[in-house]
Amino acid sequence: MNTYLASVNETALATFAVVVGVTLVITYWASKRVSTATDFWAAGRGLTGPQNGFAIAGDYMSAASFLGIAGLIFLFGFDGFLYSVGFLVAFLTVLFLLAERMRNSGKFTIADVLTYRLKQRPARTAAALGTLSVAGFYLIAQMVGAGVLIEGLVGIDFWLAVVLTGAFMIIYIVAGGMLATSWVQIIKAFLLMSAAIVMTIWVLSRIGWNPLDLFRDARGQSAEGENYLKPGLFLATPLDTISLGLGLVLGTAGLPHILMRFFTVPNAKAARGSVMWAMVLIGGFYVMTTALGFGARAILGKGGEEAAGPTGNNALPTLANELGGELFLAIIAGVAFATILAVVAGLVISASGAVAHDVWSNVVRQGRDSEREEVWVAKIAAVSIGAIAIGIAIIGGEGLNVSFMVGLAFAVAASANFPALLLALTWRRFNTAGAVTGVLFGVISSIALVVISPTVWPGPDSEGGALSWYSLANPGIISIPLGFIGCWLGTVLTTEPSAVAKFDELYVRSETGLGAEAGTGLTLTGRHGGGRAAATATTTMIPRL
Amino acid sequence: MAEHHSEFDWEAVERSPEFRELVNKKKAFIIPGTIFFLAWYFGFIILAGYAPDFMGREFITDGLTIGYVLALSQFVMTWVLGWMYLRKSDKVFDPLAARAREAATGAAAPQAEAPATQQRFRRGELADEPATTDEEASRR
Repeated sequence: MNTYLASVNETALATFAVVVGVTLVITYWASKRVSTATDFWAAGRGLTGPQNGFAIAGDYMSAASFLGIAGLIFLFGFDGFLYSVGFLVAFLTVLFLLAERMRNSGKFTIADVLTYRLKQRPARTAAALGTLSVAGFYLIAQMVGAGVLIEGLVGIDFWLAVVLTGAFMIIYIVAGGMLATSWVQIIKAFLLMSAAIVMTIWVLSRIGWNPLDLFRDARGQSAEGENYLKPGLFLATPLDTISLGLGLVLGTAGLPHILMRFFTVPNAKAARGSVMWAMVLIGGFYVMTTALGFGARAILGKGGEEAAGPTGNNALPTLANELGGELFLAIIAGVAFATILAVVAGLVISASGAVAHDVWSNVVRQGRDSEREEVWVAKIAAVSIGAIAIGIAIIGGEGLNVSFMVGLAFAVAASANFPALLLALTWRRFNTAGAVTGVLFGVISSIALVVISPTVWPGPDSEGGALSWYSLANPGIISIPLGFIGCWLGTVLTTEPSAVAKFDELYVRSETGLGAEAGTGLTLTGRHGGGRAAATATTTMIPRL
Repeated sequence: MAEHHSEFDWEAVERSPEFRELVNKKKAFIIPGTIFFLAWYFGFIILAGYAPDFMGREFITDGLTIGYVLALSQFVMTWVLGWMYLRKSDKVFDPLAARAREAATGAAAPQAEAPATQQRFRRGELADEPATTDEEASRR
């Protein structure tokens, strides 16, 4: 392990304690305000556009964005930046095709939108399968990543780091529901942006304020020379690059924890405003990954490669240590910790929605349960899902190959959730059989293609698969069309007059907001980023929309 | 479970001129916008995959590559298209959606007999327009 990392123990622990302390205070505050199911899953639909924009940014930008992309750029140059581009452009898909329509037609989960005109039990079950697959793969990747990261930065054991991360995430959700989760995400976004801005300015001051010197110095510091600024060092197969791009741009529009955020605002206008805020924040952050990644190469040089590790995840902490010593490294570590907490909390609350609202309340109890029961089941589900994720992460251990899991989550989201949602909202003929076959095609093909891909097959640490005829690491280019084909096939092979008949209702509602769920008006008006300052309850009723 | 509002005549709203105008104007923005951003993005990704040397070529000054400039153009495109959509929504889509909602709630209320009749009349009128019938047919 890196020698300097062991010595920062106390300072890093202190910043972690600050993060935990602030988030627990927010959770306590939120716990006093959450009572109904709408409060629990949708924060009373009382967040403003800018607040939700910060929360989306906090929900979306994981440690993979913060440490992973900087590390990829540090190691492979331009290819790392391709991820930054895809992660941002994806929000146009969300804004143009889904954000407002989701807000207008849904209640708590993406299944609400899917089942609006489809048969409850089969369509809900399919949607819950899509949500749980995405959230599950994503969650395990984040938990293992959190363990490795915290172990490296603070020096506590891997298992303890995983348990602590899981425990705090469960506390936020069980005590404060979506309201606490949202504010944890808002604060995290604020911390992440601040850290990125400070580091960018610091890096630029080091290299003499000319951004072009980032590229010139980085190129000079890489063994690859000119090729460092060209694509192809990390993503060697062109088809794989395109497949990855497709998965990123359509996958974001199928991520349940992101789509769920649109139910937390009072109306469609706030929903689209929040996407714009998120695009400004996320885009600004990803532009800064230039300074973080190329800057790490320019400043640390070849000598930094060992400290950065094989995945490059430690490049940014190493850079922080180089720039500002132990204290700054500890601050960056604290920000990374907050980043992980906010993302896993968002994932678990979306998964708990699939279990409690979709499977329990609507499939098992068929709507006969009370709201109180639904929230209780949600809390039990959150604890169980958290415990399972902790268990898998610890049993799998730090050696668990998680690099493919985030990619897999995006692939399932793009191939199963996105086609079904888009067609439910726009294609009159679409029906239950189409949704079920589409989701199944998408989930099964994504998982199967990732299993036989060179990164996984034939087993741990595989280098180049045993299957010579299949070499794609990213399944999107095959699995996304399969998802759409599944939707089409199931639809044309069956007829469902009730689904067709109710299309007008869903169509009008999704486009105009007529009859859409109103807010309970329970929550808050306030300034983003502050947390404590926002504790004023309001009773503003949303005009009938 | 989604609550269903039977108080509105959804089918009538769907065929109302206000609603048709709303969805036609939305489509006229969203479909070209989506095609444009996908083309611009996948053009970039395909170049990155198949033309790495072109992407690595110097642009104007040493250190700046065509690839990086194109990558930055993706950020600008995302923000500009997002901003255009928001502006269009505020100025055009929202007022139209409000009119469509008014037409619907007006038709549902008993005292609004006149607009409701007008509604039905307009519906019949619209059905004769070839453009609308084609579109309806393609959606069914």
